[in-house]
Amino acid sequence: MISNTEQPQSSTTATAVAQSGDAKLNRLEMITRGEHVDAVIHAELAKCASVLDVNDVSLWYGDKQALFDINMIIPDGHVTALIGPSGCGKSTLLRCVNRMNDLIDNVRLGGDMRLNGDSIFSPHIDVIALRKRMGMVFQKPNPFPMSIFENVVYPLRIDGERDRNVLEEVCERALRGAALWNEVKDRLHESGLGLSGGQQQRLCIARAIASDPEVLLLDEPCSALDPIATGKIEDLIDELRGDYSILIVTHNMQQASRVSDFTAFMYLGHLIEYGPTVSLFTNPKLKETEDYVMGRFG
Amino acid sequence: MATRKSVRVADRTAQLLITVGGLGTIASLLLVFAFLVGKVYPLFSGSSLSQPQEIDLSAATQPVTPDTKAPASKTPTPEPLHFATDEYLNLGWIAYRDGTLRTVRLDSGETLSRVSLIPDGRELTAWSFGPRGEIGLGFVDGDIQLGKISFATAFLQASSDDDAAAGSGDTRVLQLDEVPAELTGLRIGDVARYRDGMVEKTPEGQLRLQELSVEMDAPVTVASGVPIRLIDRSVPKQGADSLAATEEVLALLTDEGLLRVATVRKVYNMLLDQTTTKLSARTLQLELDMQTQQPDRLLLSGLGDNVYLAWNDGRLQRFDARKGVDVLLAEEVNLVDGGRVLTSLGFLVGKTSLVAGDSDGGVTVWFRTKPEDATTIDGAVLSRAHHLQSGSSPVRSLAASPVVRTVAAGFEDGSIRLYHVTSEQLLAQSTTADQQVPRLLTISPKNDVILGLSHAGLSRWAIDAPHPEVTLSAIFLPVWYEGYEKPEHVWQSSSGDDAFEPKYGLWSLVFGSIKATIYSMLFGAPLALLAAIYTSEFLNPRTKARIKPTIEIMASLPSVVLGFLAALVIAPYVEDIVPQTLSVLATAPFALLAAAFLWQLLPMSLGIRCDWLRLPLMALAFVVGIWLATIVGPFVESWLFAGDIKAWLDGQTGTATGGWMLLLLPLSALLVATVFSLFVTPVQRNMANSRVQFVLLDIAKFAVGSVATVAVAWLISSLISGLGFDLRGTLVDTYVQRNSLVVGFMMGFAIIPIIYTISDDALTSVPESLRAASLGAGATKWQTAVRVIIPTGMSGLFSAVMIGLGRAVGETMIVLMAAGNTPVLDMNIFNGFRTLAANIAVELPEAVENSTHFRMLYLAALTLFALTFVLNTVAEVIRLRFRKRAFQL
Repeated sequence: MISNTEQPQSSTTATAVAQSGDAKLNRLEMITRGEHVDAVIHAELAKCASVLDVNDVSLWYGDKQALFDINMIIPDGHVTALIGPSGCGKSTLLRCVNRMNDLIDNVRLGGDMRLNGDSIFSPHIDVIALRKRMGMVFQKPNPFPMSIFENVVYPLRIDGERDRNVLEEVCERALRGAALWNEVKDRLHESGLGLSGGQQQRLCIARAIASDPEVLLLDEPCSALDPIATGKIEDLIDELRGDYSILIVTHNMQQASRVSDFTAFMYLGHLIEYGPTVSLFTNPKLKETEDYVMGRFG
Repeated sequence: MATRKSVRVADRTAQLLITVGGLGTIASLLLVFAFLVGKVYPLFSGSSLSQPQEIDLSAATQPVTPDTKAPASKTPTPEPLHFATDEYLNLGWIAYRDGTLRTVRLDSGETLSRVSLIPDGRELTAWSFGPRGEIGLGFVDGDIQLGKISFATAFLQASSDDDAAAGSGDTRVLQLDEVPAELTGLRIGDVARYRDGMVEKTPEGQLRLQELSVEMDAPVTVASGVPIRLIDRSVPKQGADSLAATEEVLALLTDEGLLRVATVRKVYNMLLDQTTTKLSARTLQLELDMQTQQPDRLLLSGLGDNVYLAWNDGRLQRFDARKGVDVLLAEEVNLVDGGRVLTSLGFLVGKTSLVAGDSDGGVTVWFRTKPEDATTIDGAVLSRAHHLQSGSSPVRSLAASPVVRTVAAGFEDGSIRLYHVTSEQLLAQSTTADQQVPRLLTISPKNDVILGLSHAGLSRWAIDAPHPEVTLSAIFLPVWYEGYEKPEHVWQSSSGDDAFEPKYGLWSLVFGSIKATIYSMLFGAPLALLAAIYTSEFLNPRTKARIKPTIEIMASLPSVVLGFLAALVIAPYVEDIVPQTLSVLATAPFALLAAAFLWQLLPMSLGIRCDWLRLPLMALAFVVGIWLATIVGPFVESWLFAGDIKAWLDGQTGTATGGWMLLLLPLSALLVATVFSLFVTPVQRNMANSRVQFVLLDIAKFAVGSVATVAVAWLISSLISGLGFDLRGTLVDTYVQRNSLVVGFMMGFAIIPIIYTISDDALTSVPESLRAASLGAGATKWQTAVRVIIPTGMSGLFSAVMIGLGRAVGETMIVLMAAGNTPVLDMNIFNGFRTLAANIAVELPEAVENSTHFRMLYLAALTLFALTFVLNTVAEVIRLRFRKRAFQL
């Protein structure tokens, strides 16, 4: 468990470059002009056990570069939030983790990611096997047009699991994990589309955790939900903390501050600042970060 | 800010235009429907008889100069034997038991002439009157006399007239010095008596004279001193096709029970200017006591090949009298049910089928059929084919229409009924005035009037039955037609023969449409659906952007071109390579699968880099599959089909095993694949240590699986064949060049683009989020497609198939050109068919406007309209449901 009680002023800056770059020139303007800017990464992260290492990840859509040399680690068993204005590449980065960008034409990747030490970007990797090690939840709830039960056990079905007992056990565990069990246990065999939006999203989370993923990727999971449903999802993320390593992309800074342990601020494909959520929101090292979290731009 | 006026005007205009367009579409659809219904409605609107018009025959006869000793007119009228009328319904003749022939005007009942048919006053003991006026008389002294009573037509003309127009063809022109004044004053349609005939002014302004012409041959002695009891003649139609013309046949029964069947030859002696009749007779002595068991009726069939003897108790004996064999008893049947009395017996038009009326008012029709299991000497059997609705009192008289299969029956209580035999429909009924018993009935030559002769006089009913043969059950259910062994669905709308009965069994055309649809869907639908799945789920978007339009262009190929190709190129080609064609269905998938397994051998990184080669390599594998078929074909033919597939299909050689095997191959492949995935794949997973090992094991599995598939198919088909089930005769049968297989191929081409485009759109419109969710959960593309995308887009796929179905049902040119157009009712894939659409295209140009045939074609159109309308509606409803579901996501 990372201690957030540490005083912000005593935390040291991660790199020398960041110190020297901490000048009059605004980093965001430098990025706009196409210059390279190094990220400020808080020292607390260096102490964490990582589930996912991001090494020099760049990504191009055709000729347009969308991610620039991202270096970061995702701590094991914690909730990490990616924030930043629209188009900053936070969703792109998330989708790199399970290679969902492969589905888009003309995408080129640079650098590598390692999930518990296994390369993700290597052309030799079996993408299907890789994706089975992760769970992903999308912006809009996207349950399959099947029963609630079949939705949850889908990852096991595609692995060829036929044992009814195993499936039922996993279904109950995942639904309990997603805090949905009590609401749907009597109608497991009704369509998942009959649920409310918030329930559908929790169903998707249940589906994502059914296969016991090493990392759970949440891509703006509450952006299509009303405040009450959002609250429930946030409570759920809170409960999942510790059991799963969670990487969440969010537009909502309050949400990031509420649910995450660590927060990364990105801007136009660059990682700007990455550190414990408390220090990032209350005492950021960079003025740009402060401006953003204070809502001065974005 | 107020909306600008121009915007409001544009909005209004657009709304108006759209409303007009939409309503116009619906209105024109309804109009087409109403038009079709309007054309079809008269078919079912029923028939009727007019109120009887009574003609008093007892009116004082004009003092005619009888050239023979006519009986005194005041004596009670002797029994009338026969009554006939001319085609213009101006005059008729009645033959009486005493040999008198009386000619009457049909409008007033005035007697025009009265002559005796028997010059020397001999006693008449037997008589027959044929439908074309041929008569045969038998006398007590064993002589017979043959003759013909006909109506002679002539046009009256004053000799001063220009006679350039005279004497064309058969019409006689009578040159008169002066046309009598009472005739020149006639208006069009008026009639007047002239000499012993009637003159009518025709719409062309000519004066047409109808006179009776009686030609009696010299008597011939056939049984010296023995009275002739019964006689009948069958005279071939004059001027008939020389091929069809047969000799005249005569049948008679003498008082001694001797049945004579004679061929009649007339020899003209130029020296004497006289025609003598020569009979060459075959005889059969009947084993019966002529005092107590004398037959009451004798009938000779139209071709002279069957003689029927009937007794009033309903017993009927049929004698085989075919040319060149001895006359022998063929069978005996009972025409009426127990206790009833046979009161009337006659022929239908064509003189092959019998109509019998009984004392309980029952009217039955008997067909001579030739079932395969017949035990009679000539292989024919009389069967009661139609039972017409019974009257309430005994049948007294029957008359068959000379043109169509209608029969009029007169009953004891004075009622008359008009039936259509084939459809068993009671068309109309009426009664004579004062409930007089109609002793003789006749239907006029043009089938427009029924005339009934009773004691009081003549009753005349006008027939209004334009479509007597049409009933819903006659159209859509099997109908027992004359000359068939059992009720069947037959479409046969025209023929060269006059006695031909058009057969409007629409079901055989509906069946043809269904068969065409099934076989083309069987070929087209899986290909189109699989192609849609492939392009929407597997192909990269750039390649798809080229392939999809290409397939859609296929839809713009005119179907007449496809039909032409099918009929003139593919059908003759496929005929030569049937085994190869059938083999492709197995070798092409085999080649593709084999290629897929070999592809796995590539190192993964190379495989990913060469991904773009997949499509061309698949095409190559397909070509290899076809090439394999040309190699395998001859072996298949010799191994499965005893060396000659066409003889095998005919059922001449080989066992059913080969055919079953080919049919069961896909099923067996599925079975083997399932078994392997359940039991072999887990073992394989454990055995393989590396990817290469796994792939090699995979290939080995495929090889073993292929062999196992063939073996399993062989085992199952041997079993089925051993149990005695043969697929020949049902699904496959004798090979015909223009067949369903060829049509299926070609029509597949016509429907593939439609089904493909719609189903690709349906699959592509499945929300990307579902695809992402499935792939994100670690599913392969195939798993995603099968488990998520296809179930979600299923209703879209279904509606695509339905629309393809609608297209296939209505397709005309391909089936017209390549299906052979034989309206047969079998599912044999190697035989042709005739669809509703093709039938309309073929027959409408030759159908007489507003005839039954014409209206039946409109009914076919209406059926087709209903069929496609229902299909498209179902497709639309499902598509709407699909859209609703898609919006939910």
